[in-house]
Amino acid sequence: MNCEEYRKAISAEPSFDGGAGHLSECASCQAYRAEIQALEQRIGRALALDVPELVLPELPDVEPDNVVSLGRRRGLSPPTWLAMAATVAVAAVLGVRLIGGGAGNESLADEVLAHLDGEPRALVVTDIAVTDEQLHEVLAPDIAQMDHSAGLITYARNCVIDGHDVPHLVIQGREGPVTILLMPEESVDAPVPLSGTNVKGVILPVGKGSIAIIGERDEHLEDIQQQVVNMVTWTT
Amino acid sequence: MQSSKAVAGRRLRFDQIVTVFHQDMYRYAAWLSRDKAIAEDVVQEALLRAWKSLDALRDDASAKQWLLTIVRRENARYFERKRLETVDIDNLTVSQAALLATVADEDIDDMRQAIYELDDDYREPLVLQVLMGYSTNEIAEQMGLKRGAVLTRLHRARARLRERMSTQ
Repeated sequence: MNCEEYRKAISAEPSFDGGAGHLSECASCQAYRAEIQALEQRIGRALALDVPELVLPELPDVEPDNVVSLGRRRGLSPPTWLAMAATVAVAAVLGVRLIGGGAGNESLADEVLAHLDGEPRALVVTDIAVTDEQLHEVLAPDIAQMDHSAGLITYARNCVIDGHDVPHLVIQGREGPVTILLMPEESVDAPVPLSGTNVKGVILPVGKGSIAIIGERDEHLEDIQQQVVNMVTWTT
Repeated sequence: MQSSKAVAGRRLRFDQIVTVFHQDMYRYAAWLSRDKAIAEDVVQEALLRAWKSLDALRDDASAKQWLLTIVRRENARYFERKRLETVDIDNLTVSQAALLATVADEDIDDMRQAIYELDDDYREPLVLQVLMGYSTNEIAEQMGLKRGAVLTRLHRARARLRERMSTQ
């Protein structure tokens, strides 16, 4: 390690403890290190703004179980689904608000979008793909098989929808992250549209299960939908 | 219908989390927006959103990152809504200037001004690292960057502050 490398490292991470060999022989870098660490103290004090007293906003009543229990939803007739599709407009993290009062919390659409609120890390724009190991861990062989044709998978985690482990994947679309929930246990009779202030999506019937696909409002989801459906094969 | 015990338990959990992390939420919002009033609005919106989605937070050990991510998104949404222009450092609004209100220590004032003037790309990782205690990898995840890009930004941020403060 030379002086330039050492200085870059410690100015990026003042706690950097590598380069001991170089440091022990370089008085100039020792002085630089001391300067950076002193600077760090000053930065820390400056960043610590006074904070106003905590005042909570008016908190609405919230049904605590909006992430579970689809029991009452099962068995709804197709006309009911159509009515729900027309009235349920859901919103989650990206400005999501329920539009229309007809949507019960028990709806799958509601649950899917409520779930996004709990996964903010899934909505990060990134070009860092998950590893094959991470993907394999989430996509258990007894749930589904898939290939990578839909795009860069940047998030993979097992989540719970209706009491079932559900692979939650994210690919990067043109406008931002696109969430994909593979739900082999959740059947829908027809596509269920999702719509929010800044997001849109659909729950598609796929075999005996369904797949939810949600992206930014300007995202071209139609192409992605087709790719996702093509790349997933249920193994349940 | 949920029981009153469940309601009380949910509220208690929320209060505990928010009490612990409110300072971090406000300071993060303040350094992102560089505006005291906007920071307060963003925190209010973030608190509301956190309340609505609290049940989806499965592990309270992740609460800090969860809340800060919500703050980050609310801040972005606020600026998207308002379509605010870039801050002109020579013509600060009252609320922007309030963030830089002088304190007794002149050195803190100078450093605060220097941080305020950093580009967003440099200021945010610095705040996450120094104030929030994030690792480089955590910053990369939060900002959707590669680790190398985060290191470069942190290096440049400190280089600018060092240069700026040496001329004070």
